[in-house]
Amino acid sequence: MAQKTTRQQFFKGLWAENPVTRQLLGLCSVLAVSNAVINGVAMGLAVTFVLVFSALLVSLIRTIVPNQVRIASFIVIIASFVTIADRVLAAYFPQLSKAMGPYVPLIVVNCIILGRAEAFASKNKVWPSIIDALGMSGGYVLTLLLMGFIRELLGNRTVLGTQILGQWFEPWVVMLLPPGAFIMLGLIIAISNFIDFKIKERRKQP
Amino acid sequence: MNLSTRMIVVLTVVGLLSGSFLAIVGQVTKERIIFNKRHEIEMAALKVVPGARLVKMIYEERDFAVFEDRDEAGNLLGYALQAAGTGFQDKIVLEIGVNAELTTVLGLTIIEQKETPGLGAKITSEEDFLRYWQNRDCTKELTLRKPPVEDPDALASNEVNAITGATISSRAVLNIVNEAIRKARQLRAEGKLSGMN
Repeated sequence: MAQKTTRQQFFKGLWAENPVTRQLLGLCSVLAVSNAVINGVAMGLAVTFVLVFSALLVSLIRTIVPNQVRIASFIVIIASFVTIADRVLAAYFPQLSKAMGPYVPLIVVNCIILGRAEAFASKNKVWPSIIDALGMSGGYVLTLLLMGFIRELLGNRTVLGTQILGQWFEPWVVMLLPPGAFIMLGLIIAISNFIDFKIKERRKQP
Repeated sequence: MNLSTRMIVVLTVVGLLSGSFLAIVGQVTKERIIFNKRHEIEMAALKVVPGARLVKMIYEERDFAVFEDRDEAGNLLGYALQAAGTGFQDKIVLEIGVNAELTTVLGLTIIEQKETPGLGAKITSEEDFLRYWQNRDCTKELTLRKPPVEDPDALASNEVNAITGATISSRAVLNIVNEAIRKARQLRAEGKLSGMN
């Protein structure tokens, strides 16, 4: 891999290597919490916290940890940060913690985090790892927000709890249910692939 | 140091460090978490009995608790019953306010639920569900009105609206409430609900 600038390192997470639409990582949490914008925001922040701090730590200890036990050590580190996020939310932001229910503890098994620890942080210096983690979180949050926006709007007529569409619009309840999540995710991936394809095609023509 | 020793040392150190760090975080946040839980339940107990300012727990068992609600002067306004039962997907925990004679349901609030978003989760909605639970006559069992009606006055005095598309969640709430009222009556018969002033 050619050396990337800090900027490229960050922006690749938003589009070219977007964890959700390109790497198809962490889909279970995306499907589950994207039925309202606010859930997406909260989940996105929690994932960002865990991703950045575990990238920092994993990158710091990458030369000390023997290859054979690296996954075990990474999981312990990730699980610790998740537990901290969970406890702190429950203690200081009880409303938010309630809204997110079981999804915070489930960040432990969100494969974006282990994926990035394994694929990037364990092979790179601290600074690029943090930038990479920030970019990946950004891509995750953007996708969650987009999905949450469309699903909440069509399924409940609202965005962030404020009614946008009038009474004439009959809410598509299916959008709030799991099938709606699958349909939206499929469409978003298809559209982003299509755009990417068009961009590449244009680049080929001189 | 050979490889096996190094693996053991690294894993042990990682485990010990994160373990002790978590112990500290746990200690620091523990009291606040317990406080938050209690605060939430007491606020709910105040909410379901209109006009109540003071609340005190007077009875507790597994999945059931009774709170006394009093106004500023200390007059008993009613009780808040905290009860739990099985919903469509997981446990539903709720609180209902009843008057001191246990004849009228004053209000209902949901504390915990994991019903389907957009359908069963409407049991937490004031607009769609909870407002139909004010001033219900509970001398008889409460029953569900299906399909629901817009106007609360069109309901019989012991009827509450079901939620369209979420009959199971609505019925679950109804059963929990009926059961809680039955338990409260029994407690009163046993003389365990003190302070009938």
